[in-house]
Amino acid sequence: MAMTGTAPPAPSIVDGVRAGLRELLGQLSNFWFGMSLLGVWGFLTLIGVVVDQGKDETFYLTNYAPALARLVLRLHLDNIYHSPAYLGIVGFILACMTLATFWRVIPTRLPPLRGVKIEAIPLNASMTVRGDEASVRARVEAFFAARGWQVRKRELGGIEWTFADKHNWARRGVLVAHVGFVIIAIGTTLYWAFGYSGQTAVLAGSTVKIAENGTVFRLDRFRYRIDPIRTKSGIVYQPIDYVSDVHVTDHAGKTHVDQIRVNQPLDIDGVSYYQASYGFGVHFTVSKDGKPLANSPAGSIKEGEGFAVGQSTRSLQYAKFIGTIGPGNTVGPDPRPNNPGVMLNVFDGSQNIGSVLVPLDRGIDIGNGYRVDAGRYTLYSGIQYRHDPGIPFVGVGAFVLLAGLCISFYFLPARLYVRVDGDAKSWQIGLAATTVKGYDIYEEQFAALVRDFERDDAAPPARPLQPAGSLA
Amino acid sequence: MNTDQLLIVISISAYIMSTLALFTYFLSREKLPKQIGIPFAFIGCAVQFFELVYRYQTSHIWPLTNLYGSLSLFAAMSVAIFIGFSLKYDLWFIGGFVQAFAAGFLAYALTWNEGYLPAVPALQSYWIKIHVPLVVSSYAAFMVAMVMSMLYLIKYYGERSLERDAMRPMNIRAAAAGSGGTGMAMAAYAAPVTSQRMIGGDLPVLASAAAAGNPLAMWLSTLPSLAKLDIMTYRIVSVGLPLLTVGIITGAWWAKEAWGAYWQWDPKETAALVSWTVYAMYMHLHTRNSWRGVRSAWMSVLGFVTIIFCYLGVNIWVSGLHSYKM
Ligand code: HEM
Repeated sequence: MAMTGTAPPAPSIVDGVRAGLRELLGQLSNFWFGMSLLGVWGFLTLIGVVVDQGKDETFYLTNYAPALARLVLRLHLDNIYHSPAYLGIVGFILACMTLATFWRVIPTRLPPLRGVKIEAIPLNASMTVRGDEASVRARVEAFFAARGWQVRKRELGGIEWTFADKHNWARRGVLVAHVGFVIIAIGTTLYWAFGYSGQTAVLAGSTVKIAENGTVFRLDRFRYRIDPIRTKSGIVYQPIDYVSDVHVTDHAGKTHVDQIRVNQPLDIDGVSYYQASYGFGVHFTVSKDGKPLANSPAGSIKEGEGFAVGQSTRSLQYAKFIGTIGPGNTVGPDPRPNNPGVMLNVFDGSQNIGSVLVPLDRGIDIGNGYRVDAGRYTLYSGIQYRHDPGIPFVGVGAFVLLAGLCISFYFLPARLYVRVDGDAKSWQIGLAATTVKGYDIYEEQFAALVRDFERDDAAPPARPLQPAGSLA
Repeated sequence: MNTDQLLIVISISAYIMSTLALFTYFLSREKLPKQIGIPFAFIGCAVQFFELVYRYQTSHIWPLTNLYGSLSLFAAMSVAIFIGFSLKYDLWFIGGFVQAFAAGFLAYALTWNEGYLPAVPALQSYWIKIHVPLVVSSYAAFMVAMVMSMLYLIKYYGERSLERDAMRPMNIRAAAAGSGGTGMAMAAYAAPVTSQRMIGGDLPVLASAAAAGNPLAMWLSTLPSLAKLDIMTYRIVSVGLPLLTVGIITGAWWAKEAWGAYWQWDPKETAALVSWTVYAMYMHLHTRNSWRGVRSAWMSVLGFVTIIFCYLGVNIWVSGLHSYKM
């Protein structure tokens, strides 16, 4: 049978796709969906607090229960903030937030001016007032305008409505907050894309070159101050200051002399250099049967570094610098080099088999004819560097976010719907209020507003001016 | 006893007096204990601030570089925020709880009082004078909000128990009356559900039970309505969240200066971010009708649990990772 012209047209593929897309956008911008994403983000972030981050595999295997360690390693929870899942969820949150802002929040936060059923709104009042229609309308308008309400009038369905808005502009606070968050995200992405950071250590009197930008640092001198302070629980040795005196040669070959101090980084060509740490480099010599071995570590090594003991299976790790060796070869509390030494961890293969305290300028036998001598120490400075082109974005974004929060929390947009109807003898005013944060929050202000209106309206008209002199 | 110790003793004593008086006011609703409690709250708070200033004046060491100073400011700020809100919104009835917390935290702070210790290099920055007071003040605001939410929950579950009690005898009577009674029982059961509040907060059963002389209902009805308690919590969180936001921003700024990166996923930073997320969620959820009230109240309590973890948990249990030492 031939189709008649009156049958509804079959939905085209385009319509179907459009409807599907609309549904998808609706789902993605759904409030609960967004909140669940935030919940997942919070959870992943918390995992990063609880699980140690950025350690090597052996750390987890030795410190965590075996099953937990495997779980951490398999799910990459050891570096969660850089995992694809984490970055993915942040990106997804941003997308959903942007969508929610423009697809849902803005349209509903800026409601059109239209008539409402006054009595159906929980915050409502009705009053009978005197006077003719024009004067009633004028009084209503003057009353709200005098209290800072933005008054607009519309003729809707034969009824003249008055709409009064307070803090209408603040309805965009959500947009401002969400935009702030997006700007921060852009800033952090810029760092991922174009920034770099790293750490280096330079011994006094020597130089290092920053691989990323070719800047060369020469540490002329490292100065530190540690003071003994008497507290209730005894003497503590508190670091007071440390500073690196450096010669810096930038990639263009220009050299200048400067200082890097904690909290006072050095800025060269958009890269910041920070005083991060310091330590004592020590020169070790390994000998067998009195003869220095060729594979002794060359130059000073720093805390945490290690070296092999000749051809044996043993190796030593320079664990810690000891400022003062106390009586009976114990570790004294004063970290300043008085009677200094080093704590060495001894390994057989990968097994830590103990530690020894070796005084500086003296040596120690470690068995099988091997001997280790710890020489003089040289101070080194730990310098951190970072190039982050996203910082201005993060800074601006943070302030935009804050502004959005303050707008949203401290300015309550409220709308009053005022309907005036009646006849020549008596006029009824119907008044209802809505806010973006429900009705409870506005209950008291609304009651006060109604009270004020009734009082003002009942008051006799302004008295005529008194004759001159009567004010005395 | 030196001046510093004397000032601490005075403020703890004032807090204890204020706790007792305002708690009596909370239970009895008599005017006298309120009139006694308020001045003590003022005295305790003022003396505590004075003690912090005095420490600074005599030692020239910024007092907030250790847990003692920070906890002490936390106690003083929570009382100050409570006083500020009470002057505006008449919240003295929660004073017993706030003051008890303040006294408790101040006493706990004393266990961390090592005397005057100069700051380690990383803390020698003007940022400490901006960042720490902001963050600690936000914690204090969240503490007062948590107290408010706890009261909400007390009242909410109190009303629910009254509602259950109100239903029980009618159900039994209706069941005894045979099949015809079942409809009555259903109606009695349905009544509180259909009489869901729109505005003003409390369930109707509260007024009727209070009128019938139920002591719990009489006492509960002297508390502000649930809607008011909910709004007050919201207002206090609205002070805390921007403070925490600025606190995190200034912390990040400082970290950039001192450590080289504004964000390093240090446990303290991360825990603060988790708290921030919880309160941001609170704010979002509070825009929903169905989440305003009991769920928001639980959310605020949860938020404060995360704050305590961030504040004390990270400092004490995850110690070493955020030790402020380089
Ligand atoms: C974590 C970053 C976010 C911040 C700082 C933020 C901030 C805000 C603020 C301040 C408001 C206004 C609340 C009020 O009026 O009291 C708001 C509302 C809203 N936000 Fe977010 N938001 C964030 C994330 C998100 C995400 C991921 C979504 C995803 C869907 C979302 C969806 C919404 C919606 C739908 C509203 C309006 C709620 C309503 O009017 O009923 N937000 N947001």
